[in-house]
Amino acid sequence: MTAFDFAPAIALLPFVSFLVALFGGQYLPKKGAFAGIAATAGSLLLSAWVAVTVAGGETYNEALYTFTAGLDTFELHLGILIDPLTALMLLIVSFIALLVHVFSLGYMNDEGESGLPRYYAGLGLFTASMLGFVYADNILMAFMFFELVGLCSFLLIGFHFREDGPPSAAKKAFLVTRFGDYFFLIGVVGIFVTFAGATQTPGAFAGAESFPVLAEHAIMDGATEGLNTFGFDAQTWFTILGLLVLGGVMGKSAQFPLHTWLPDAMEGPTPVSALIHAATMVAAGVYLVARMYGFYALTPTTMAVIALVGGFTALFAATMGVVKQELKQVLAYSTISQYGYMMLALGSGGYIAAVFHLTTHAVFKALLFLGAGAVIIAMHHEENMWEMGGLKEKMPVTYWSFLAGSLALAGIVPFAGFWSKDEVLYEALIHGFGTEGGLGSVFLVAYAMGLLAVVFTGFYTFRMVYLTFHGEPRTETARKPHGVRWNVKGPLAVLGILATTIGFINLAPVKKLADVDVDFLHQWLAGDEGSGWEGLSTGYHHYETLLHDGPSHVTVGDIPGLGADATLIVSAVLSLALAVGGVLAARSLYKVPEPVEHTNKLGSIKTLLMHNYYQDEYQVWLATGFTYPISRAADKFDQGVIDGVVNGISSVSLFSGSRVRKIQTGVVSNYAFFITVALVVLLVIFGISGGWF
Amino acid sequence: MIPTEYYLLLSAAVFSIGVFGVLTRRNALIFLMSVELILNAANINLVAFSFQYGNLTGQVFSLFIMALAAAEVAVGLGIILVLYRNFTDIDVTKATTMRW
Repeated sequence: MTAFDFAPAIALLPFVSFLVALFGGQYLPKKGAFAGIAATAGSLLLSAWVAVTVAGGETYNEALYTFTAGLDTFELHLGILIDPLTALMLLIVSFIALLVHVFSLGYMNDEGESGLPRYYAGLGLFTASMLGFVYADNILMAFMFFELVGLCSFLLIGFHFREDGPPSAAKKAFLVTRFGDYFFLIGVVGIFVTFAGATQTPGAFAGAESFPVLAEHAIMDGATEGLNTFGFDAQTWFTILGLLVLGGVMGKSAQFPLHTWLPDAMEGPTPVSALIHAATMVAAGVYLVARMYGFYALTPTTMAVIALVGGFTALFAATMGVVKQELKQVLAYSTISQYGYMMLALGSGGYIAAVFHLTTHAVFKALLFLGAGAVIIAMHHEENMWEMGGLKEKMPVTYWSFLAGSLALAGIVPFAGFWSKDEVLYEALIHGFGTEGGLGSVFLVAYAMGLLAVVFTGFYTFRMVYLTFHGEPRTETARKPHGVRWNVKGPLAVLGILATTIGFINLAPVKKLADVDVDFLHQWLAGDEGSGWEGLSTGYHHYETLLHDGPSHVTVGDIPGLGADATLIVSAVLSLALAVGGVLAARSLYKVPEPVEHTNKLGSIKTLLMHNYYQDEYQVWLATGFTYPISRAADKFDQGVIDGVVNGISSVSLFSGSRVRKIQTGVVSNYAFFITVALVVLLVIFGISGGWF
Repeated sequence: MIPTEYYLLLSAAVFSIGVFGVLTRRNALIFLMSVELILNAANINLVAFSFQYGNLTGQVFSLFIMALAAAEVAVGLGIILVLYRNFTDIDVTKATTMRW
């Protein structure tokens, strides 16, 4: 028995806890929380076992259940793909889910919420679907679980469905992400149609028969036999497919312009926000790009789009975070911004940087949300930071762990976020200078936006910290906060320690400068020869070859006039200096006993930022001012013309039927008469045409 | 030896009497008898042509038609009985409930 035999249980355990909480939660102590904790702990242990097995050089890529098998054509199946990327993500998801379950004991049970079985059932299904998505071995299965994740977010964001805000936010989250998923679905169908002629498993992610590998052969060796590219050049068609799938990614990972659902999703319970933002829903999009990176690496246009969207989103969201007044809103915009960084890294060829940032972000963002949850418990569910202040002395565990998370988010050395964000920016920079032509310039533009966002990140993060924890308490509740118990402090402490230390799993700059082997994540994801999973073609070295030798020609370069080491140091110092600058600005403005709203000085810019650049307004206008009239016209056409023709035909039949039926008198003699007359008429006709007369 | 034309004339006459009966009478029993006449007109034709061509098939067929006619009468009498039970009459023009 190997760990892989138990792999299905990683997703099935939380699913069982979903069933237990749903049907038996009412009768259990803590309303099903313990089932969820046990299930996610089990998943975490199994994931750890899987990770250890993968570390031993084994990988797994099997179809487990074929639900449609065709003769001489492709088949549809559910299967499991486990490579180092999957193993890492399984660990993250099950770990964060476990902590969120524990934290929920303090946030939901201790606060006397009702409807808890529904809550724990939602958490269980959410975790199960995300885990299923993570180790899906083909894009159709990934799509199915992607949708389940969206459904669960709908259920959990709208948990307090009796209030006004949450149901509306839940609907918005569902609709906006569905809009992106619509393109994803077309992309999935497109991928199946394109590669069905060349393989039995056109949707597979890894292995010789998978679509990224087939696409690679088509572009690098011109082996387009069996591929259906609808008359396009292979590269153009793969760009179209990549952009279609990217639609789903942008919806789920809240990238501009589909980011509008995420701030509203703060209406959900805070532990759910932690789960959505750190490990599950939002991470799914970025993870999908990383999963099929071999496909994206082939098409420079999609790479450019990913990098630009990521860089722009990072900056755009960070500016909005500066003026928000509610704790969770600031965190929401920071999430959008940080996922922008991951997209920037993926687009500019920094695959490992993106996965690294995904990992560290999962830890520190879960920490920040759970910390915010602790503050919200203490403040009796008041979320406005202007009503807080001075909480530092009253809740030291929360304060210190929240501070660790904030330092990580702002990117201050040596906290986790510094290492990952620095690597993201460094990769964008060197690829920007190294790559020739427009793609390199795009990387540099995206880099500049990402770099600028660092200042804003430092500023809004520490504005939040100072307003919440420092200064004088500004309200009565802040003076006498509600205490929190072990089930809140425990997860915070664990995450606080991790947020401080997890950056050390990949000290790439240290490796380059001091030449010590400390880039463990790099080695973990490398997949070079003899690593035992070369055949899957999902290793970083394979992607590096694709990026460099493929049409993108992504090359490493240095800042003109500087050497490699100098470039590394300049990049790191630049991002650190900007982050510290942002933090110091926040400190000088807000670390006073009685802070005031300095953002008022921004005048009309503040109004613009508070309204989120009118993104919601224009999307509502798109719905009501544009789509609605079109659909009304379509409805008119349908009701009037299409239905009119159908109804006209039936009324003609009805009318003629009502007239003709009168000949059915029911009198037998009449029928006999008709028969006789018809016989005579026939005889006469035959007689005339037969020439009897 | 009687020429075949005479049989055909007889057959046509019997057929016409039958049709006349069907068209003009209301009594179900007479109706049934008229139908028998029509059937037997056909029989005469079959036998006449069988005689004309020296082929026995037509005569065999007429035997079948007699058996068929017997069965038909059985069914027809059953229908007439039901007709009588439902309408207390055997006038075929009264039973007009099965129209539009």
